Formats: sequence, structure tokens, C-alpha cells
Amino acid sequence: MIEFKGLVKRFGDRTVLKGLDLTINGGEILFVLGTSGTGKSVLLKNLVGLLKPDAGQIWIDGEEVSAFSEEQYLPIRKKCGMVFQHPALFDSLTVFDNIAFGIRRHLQCTAKETQQKVSHSLKLVNLSGVEQKLPAQLSYGMQKRVSLARTIALEPKILLVDEPTTGLDPVTTNAINQLIFELSRKLKTTSIVVSHDMQCALDIADRIVVMDQGNIVDQGTPDELRKSTVPLVKDFLSEILQKEAEQ
Amino acid sequence: MAIFQPFFNIISETGRVVQFFFQMLDVWKRKSISRDLMFEQIWKVTVQSSATTALAGFFVGAIMTVQFTMEMKDFGALGYLGGLSTSGTIREVGPLLIAFMLAGKVGAFTSAELGTMRVTEQIDAIRCLGADPIQELVLPRFIAIVISSFFLLGLGLLLSIFGGMLLGKYFSGVNYEEYLRHIPTIVSLPSILSGLFKCFVFAVVLAVICTHRGYSTTGGAKGVGRSVVQTAVSTMVAIVIADWATSLLADIALKIFLRSR
Repeated sequence: MIEFKGLVKRFGDRTVLKGLDLTINGGEILFVLGTSGTGKSVLLKNLVGLLKPDAGQIWIDGEEVSAFSEEQYLPIRKKCGMVFQHPALFDSLTVFDNIAFGIRRHLQCTAKETQQKVSHSLKLVNLSGVEQKLPAQLSYGMQKRVSLARTIALEPKILLVDEPTTGLDPVTTNAINQLIFELSRKLKTTSIVVSHDMQCALDIADRIVVMDQGNIVDQGTPDELRKSTVPLVKDFLSEILQKEAEQ
Repeated sequence: MAIFQPFFNIISETGRVVQFFFQMLDVWKRKSISRDLMFEQIWKVTVQSSATTALAGFFVGAIMTVQFTMEMKDFGALGYLGGLSTSGTIREVGPLLIAFMLAGKVGAFTSAELGTMRVTEQIDAIRCLGADPIQELVLPRFIAIVISSFFLLGLGLLLSIFGGMLLGKYFSGVNYEEYLRHIPTIVSLPSILSGLFKCFVFAVVLAVICTHRGYSTTGGAKGVGRSVVQTAVSTMVAIVIADWATSLLADIALKIFLRSR
């Protein structure tokens, strides 16, 4: 279980997270939606210790981690796999070495086991046979999948995904969303997905949180969100509800 | 107070660079650096800059010879041409030239490379995958710049002697033997040590500034561009200041050395 208690994060004189409280249950697929700049990505980065909160607490499986040092965060980062908004693949390394990078550092694996883990995680993202390619030789959508494979290769208990479908075509978007859903269910991970894509959230989320200006304005299951009276949620839903009405 | 703002900015940026330098040293003390990564970077930096350094070295030797000829001809002291121009190159012009060359090529490249890795979240990804970006990315580049600068200094000096010899013969009328004869007598051990010390200091200054700028880049592609420009400007300024400081130190050290003899 993950808990944010009164989380505050400032950048200079701009407060991005304003005392946010949120609980995420084990095995849940949670979508965090909101307009740009509302602190969704900052929330994920605080969770894995890439950013330090200015106030508040972060609890992961009964452990308060917000004041952890870089070394103390290592086991937390093994537990929390993060897929970034950019594919963030290392340009000079092959797909194999990109995926093996974390395995070599986090897990005590032999070369054969590493090989197997890389192949298995590529298979999970439906992308076999690209091990020896460089990231630049892959399309953007394929790079995103490799990025996802690199994260799930560490078998994280918590999967954090930051805008997985930004900049992708509708077909790849659906494929990636489906992939996140299947992986979360198959690997039994707790997944937190930051997104702008309400349709996808309604399709695969167990719960949706909508953020605005550093705080949560509404949350609930997809069905509960459909009945929301919060203006921002209504804005997010308007196009979808219109399409449904037309059908 | 706004008039003093640029001054305060320089002070705080200098503080951040020094802090980053100590952070690097701390990581270096605690963690091992991959030799493969380090040699790869040394090779890259040396190969990247050797052609331009050689070319610049050749012309520096040639320029020094022409300048010294114009002054020394009147005194009939052209026999000392090779010794004086080589001494000047080793003590001052060589290290400065190598530092400027590296600042323009390797400094800007390193800053852009690390900056791009920062804005495309590769550095964050490294941290999430259980590695330390200072250990994996910054230190191999830092060490490579410092070590390569000595190789490049050697190359630049050799070519400057060659350039000086050619110009000595065809511009000043000093044959090769005459040009080389006074190099061992004029180029003293303190000159060589002073040149090596300067080369080391300039390389450290350059390496720490360019890695820091790249590593702390923010703001997407525009931010990377800004980092590269800031690296170019601040390394040039810092190298000139370091030159003044090391000249002062070298002068004091030379006086102590001469007094002790």
C-alpha cells in the first residue's frame, strides 16, 4: 500500500503539490489525470525519490521513505519500477544492454539468467528479436515498449508509468494501454499511471484521481467519475460522453 | 540592488560548481569507476581533439617564432629562438591553447550530451535502475578530460616545435640544429612543471564546469542550448582566471626554488 500524507513540493516560489493526501491499495490500477503542470509527474518522482518533498510523508508498504538517502532508496527503486514520459533509453547501448542495465545492478543474476529475463520482458511487450538494435533504429512506439520492458524486467511490485501514450498514434496508444492493463494483472503489480487520456482511464483503471493545481479535485471508480459534478472532470468527460450519446 | 544581481549569480553558480566538484570527489572515494567506461571516454576525447590540437599547435609554434624573430633579430640573439619560443609554449601558450581547444570541442560536447540525457530523463532512469549517474556518467568524462589534456598537450607541443623549426628556417634563417640546440638549456624543469600544473588545473576547471552545466540542465532543447553557451562562456572566463592564479603561484614557487639553490 502507498500513502501520501500532506505532500508539499515547491520549485522556487511555485508550489506544485499543495498538501496532497492519497492512498493507493495493493494490486490497484490507479490513473492520475489532470491538465499539464498540475504536479502529476512530480507526484511519481517524489515516490521514487527523484525529487524530495518539502513537507509531508510518503509511506510505501508501512515504511516512511520521504527522508531516505540515495542509498536507502535503492531497495525502494527496485520495488517501484518507473516508466518515464520519454523512452529514456541509453542511446549508446543496445536494446539488450538497456534492459540488462537494471538487472545487472538490482538482481544477482548470471549471464544466462539475464539473457532469459531480457527475452521474457521483451516478449511481454510483444517485441521479440530487437535485442541487438540501438534505440535510434526503433520507432518511438517501439522505444516506449522497450522502456516498459526495461522496467518490468526487474519485476517491480509497483509500476509507475508517466504519460505512456503521449506522442503516439491511436493504434499504438491502444496497444500500450492494453499492455499496461495486462501486465498489471499478470504480474499483480500496483500500477499508477499518469495520463491525459480519460478514455483509456475509463477503460482500464480501477480508480481515477483527477488533479488540479497541486491537489486532488475528485476521485473514484470509472463509473463514479462519469457522474462527477466537478467542472474539470466534466470537461475531461465531455467529448467521451458526447461520442457515447451519438452512438 | 538589481545592478549587483549578475555578480550574485556568478558567486552562487561558482558555489554550485565547487559543491558539485566535492560531490564528485565523494562519489569517487566511495565507489569504483568502470575502467572500460573511462578508457572509452579518454579515447573519445583524445581522438576528437587531436587533429585540431595538432593544427593549432603547429601554428602556435610558427607564430611564436615569427614574433620572437621580430624582437630578437635586432639583438643578434636568433640562436636562442628555439629555446625561448618552446619555453613560452610549454609554460603558458601550450596549456592555455589545449584548454581553449578542449573547452570549445569537448566541453561543449560533454555539456550537450549530459544536458540531453538530463532533459530526456535518461539520468533519472539511471537512478531508478539502481545506478549512480555521477559514477556512471560524470566521473568517467571528468577523468577522461583531465588525462586526455596531457596527451593533447604533448601532441600540441611536438607540433609547435615542428612549426617553430619550419618557420625558424624559412622565415628567420635559423637552421634546425641551431633552433633545437638551446631548447634543453632554456626549457628548465620549473618551466615544464609549471606547464604541467597549468594543464592540470585548466583541465579540472573545464571538466568540472562542463559536467556540472550538463548535469544540471533544465528546460528541454532550449535548456540544452543554454547550457552549451554557458559552458563555453564560463569555461573561457574560468580558464583565464585560473591562468592568472596559476601564473602567480608558479612565480612564487619559482622564487622559492631559486632561493633554495
